[in-house]
Amino acid sequence: MSEVLRHTPARLAPKVNIGDAKLISYLPVVLAVGGAALLAFLRLRAGGEHFISDGALMMLALAAYLTAAVFHLTNLYAPSHLFQRLGLWAATAGVFCNLASWSVRWVASYERELNIIARQGGEMPWFFRYIPFANLYDLSLAFACGAGLATLLIAHRQSFRFVGALSLPLAAIILVLARFIGGEIANLPPVLDSYWRPIHVGTASLSYGVALVCFAVAVVYLLKDGIKTEAMAVWSSLFALAVLFTISRCSVFAPATFGTYSASTFIGTPSGRAASLPLRADVPYVGWLLVLSGLLLVAVIATFGLYLKRQDERARKVGHLLLKLLLVAQIAAVAVLAYQVKTLTNVGAHVNRQQYARFGAFLLEQNMGREAVAALGNAQLERTAADFMRTRGDQLMLSLQSNPVELSALITALAGTLFVIIFSFKTARLRAALPALDKIDSLMYKTGGVTFAGLALLLITGAIWANESWGRYWGWDSKETGAFVAWLTYGAFLHVRISRGWTGRPAAYFAIVAFLLIVFTYLGVSYLLPGLHSYA
Amino acid sequence: MTAITKHQSRQLPRATAAQPAPRAASIITGTMDLLSSVRFGVLLLVLLALASIVGMVVMQVNVEGFDKYYAELSPATRLLFGTLNFFDIYHSWYFNFLLLVLSLNIILSSIDHFPKAWTFIGRRKLDASAHWLRGQEQHAELTLAAASAREVAERISAIARTLRLRARVTEKGGATFVAAERGAWNRLGAYAVHVALLVIFVGGFMTAQFGHTGQMMLEPGATRAEMSETRFDLDKPTQSTVALPFAVECTDIQQKLLDKNGPTSPMNTLDWSTAIRVKDPVRGETSAIVRLNRPFDYRGYRFFQASFIPDGKARTVTLAVMPEQGGAAETVTIKRDETVTLADGTRIKFADFYSDFVLSGAGAASQSEEYNNPAALVMISRPTGAAAKGYAFPASAAATGPMVGRPVAGYRIQLADFEKVGAAHILSVQKDPGANVVYLGFVLLSATLVGVFFFSHQRVWARIEPQGAGRFTVLLGGNTNRSRVAFEDRFKRLTAALNEQFEVQQS
Repeated sequence: MSEVLRHTPARLAPKVNIGDAKLISYLPVVLAVGGAALLAFLRLRAGGEHFISDGALMMLALAAYLTAAVFHLTNLYAPSHLFQRLGLWAATAGVFCNLASWSVRWVASYERELNIIARQGGEMPWFFRYIPFANLYDLSLAFACGAGLATLLIAHRQSFRFVGALSLPLAAIILVLARFIGGEIANLPPVLDSYWRPIHVGTASLSYGVALVCFAVAVVYLLKDGIKTEAMAVWSSLFALAVLFTISRCSVFAPATFGTYSASTFIGTPSGRAASLPLRADVPYVGWLLVLSGLLLVAVIATFGLYLKRQDERARKVGHLLLKLLLVAQIAAVAVLAYQVKTLTNVGAHVNRQQYARFGAFLLEQNMGREAVAALGNAQLERTAADFMRTRGDQLMLSLQSNPVELSALITALAGTLFVIIFSFKTARLRAALPALDKIDSLMYKTGGVTFAGLALLLITGAIWANESWGRYWGWDSKETGAFVAWLTYGAFLHVRISRGWTGRPAAYFAIVAFLLIVFTYLGVSYLLPGLHSYA
Repeated sequence: MTAITKHQSRQLPRATAAQPAPRAASIITGTMDLLSSVRFGVLLLVLLALASIVGMVVMQVNVEGFDKYYAELSPATRLLFGTLNFFDIYHSWYFNFLLLVLSLNIILSSIDHFPKAWTFIGRRKLDASAHWLRGQEQHAELTLAAASAREVAERISAIARTLRLRARVTEKGGATFVAAERGAWNRLGAYAVHVALLVIFVGGFMTAQFGHTGQMMLEPGATRAEMSETRFDLDKPTQSTVALPFAVECTDIQQKLLDKNGPTSPMNTLDWSTAIRVKDPVRGETSAIVRLNRPFDYRGYRFFQASFIPDGKARTVTLAVMPEQGGAAETVTIKRDETVTLADGTRIKFADFYSDFVLSGAGAASQSEEYNNPAALVMISRPTGAAAKGYAFPASAAATGPMVGRPVAGYRIQLADFEKVGAAHILSVQKDPGANVVYLGFVLLSATLVGVFFFSHQRVWARIEPQGAGRFTVLLGGNTNRSRVAFEDRFKRLTAALNEQFEVQQS
């Protein structure tokens, strides 16, 4: 090196190295993770009956996420250092509670089995058997946590803190879903007792979390890019319509059952646990509120469609008014549904007799072969169901846990409307508050790339686990196919960005579709499709 | 989607115009252009995703419950889906064709783009025009005071090095240049990812062509030298047997229960294990235990726990044996099908087990899989030669009946304890020469994906030109292939450090 350089290093080092200042920006993540680990340790050493339960921690996390989201949103419209900090710390508290809930659950699950096995003098299996990655509740908890962690990690850059305004409400919805699914700890299916489970499901929750953030960034990208909020309203309304059409076995808009919403029923069993029955009870008023929402949705789509096509200013105004009415109707529908589910008595009287044949077959299949039941006539099946209703009909109950996905879908549709309304308010100001388009694009690419890599690792670890447990690394099981499809879509997202003429918005569309596919994989496969992953 | 086709068809005539070649050649060029285009790749990904979604929504033949699903479909649906291969879409000709075309697309577009990526490594850009630098995503212009352009260049290089950029100083046309960069290899990452994908495809092809997966039911004492393979023809599964080059003898099966008083259902099970002895004409005998999630490898074959026959049996029974005339009771534990000898020379064999004992016209039987009324069938032979068989029941036997408490060959025998186990274990046997290739692809893919997305190729150039009077104009510019925000930080730190280092006068 030249002579000049000899005296420079001493001056250079402190000036260039500003790494110290950067590390502090990761403090929220460190605090949340460290705090949760500490709490789990306390639960293990000093815990017991009176320690805070994982369910309570989850509700705290939910509250913290929602608070943080409100601060983040406020900060976008009225930028304030205080709100930004409050938002960040509320998000930190949310991630802390979320992760603590998950890890406390781990300890609780361990202690539950400790009581059974140790009593009989058996040796305890290894600790990882109890990692809460066993069912959809656990995965939802971890998914929300992954999203929260990704948001916090990204928030280490001040200009990217806007992400929380969208990703935290989504994380909250996932926690609501978890609340509806219900967190009862059950025995582990033995095939899941493998060291690949923490690796595979851990990868899943983290990459799903990052995917959620990528989705949020893609939506913000479109907003910044100048997509009209009216167009967003059309898309969110189409989603909501799809939800309304499919819930309650498509009964709300079917001609025969128009205006009826029915919820699955539970019945108490001798073991004290409630069992879900394939029998739905009509919930009063909810169906008509849903029909009203549906009509408003169609009206919103029509008026905004008119505006987008013909630039009709009056249609736009009417559309926004309808959108607000729609929000009221959606809120009313969800609120009435929750109230009715909690308070409805005499559930048996609300069961439509048309389900009797199917339900009778279900009852008989408990004790007979499927072929034998199929040979029976409808009259006998209906009689069986009627007998059951006569003797045990008064024991039927409704619960918020009856239809977790339907309820969450309704709430998601509501949240969609709410966000479109929020975005429509002083949109220009909102756009100005967001970082430059290329910065958002860069973040979208980063999160999308990480999701792509994460999903690849998810598929790989899943394949290896399957090969070690079942002797095949790929079997086109619906869950693995779902993850594969989502991965392909993220692959398409990455390639669209380097395809001439397709850069910009198309990439954002792909990122949005890919996340919807992830949600489909995560919920749809477990609830709708048969397969090996039916437990989670 | 139509956009792509339009775009491609627009490309075709252009290719023809550029090279006035015979018609056949132009078709080939056009096809090659199409096959190697990234847009076409995106289209293929979308098609593959759509086909996979069809496969998710329509139940596939190999999924349990397909026969019921198939029976409930209308004849028209059956015909339509059947003709379109929707019931087994992942093995349909068009799905395989899609995968093949995708592989071709990956190879051809990689070949197309690779030379350009290689120039980042093979021919590094060492200098840059002022105009070009100003057009970079990050750029800055400074005026610095120094003794020589060389000094400025060395200082910039030193700062670049502290920022972990490798710097090279060159001179060209009266200007001095610093070219600093990091992670140039990252440009090749995408190609490595594609190679990894192709390796996985090759492995998958090998599995499909040469792999076998079968089932083998094993109960203690059984020896099998073949496995049964299931093939599906819509709702009619057919079994065929595949001979193995060795025989497998089962010596023991065990089911570790969570709650020993509970049922033998999977949810109450910690582990299943099957002890086997492989009898190989080439390699001799090998013993192994196959446990859940812990397969056993032998000569390219893997043995897995797959399922079990849940008929309630016992792996061992513990019997309290009392001579009928009185005397000390003896407690013995006997394994299934084995015999123990008492102190007086009497031999007791544990021959069979009934979990829900019932005596019917046809003899002893179990009326359910549950352990409602357990009983062990024992064979007793005394040294005197007298022999008899009888049933041992628990002392607290819920059952009452002619068999309970009846002495056998001069002994009263009670079932003191027993270890629950199913009747047989079903192992899945896999021979998959493609699996190792796939694993190699997995390793490559994981490594390369991390390499691609967590690193980036970042480059900075400085163009130093003398202004006269010991002042120099430094024009900085740089770009990156990803992680633009992190790169912006680095670039800002570089310019900030330069400002700190020199007496600065902003130009």
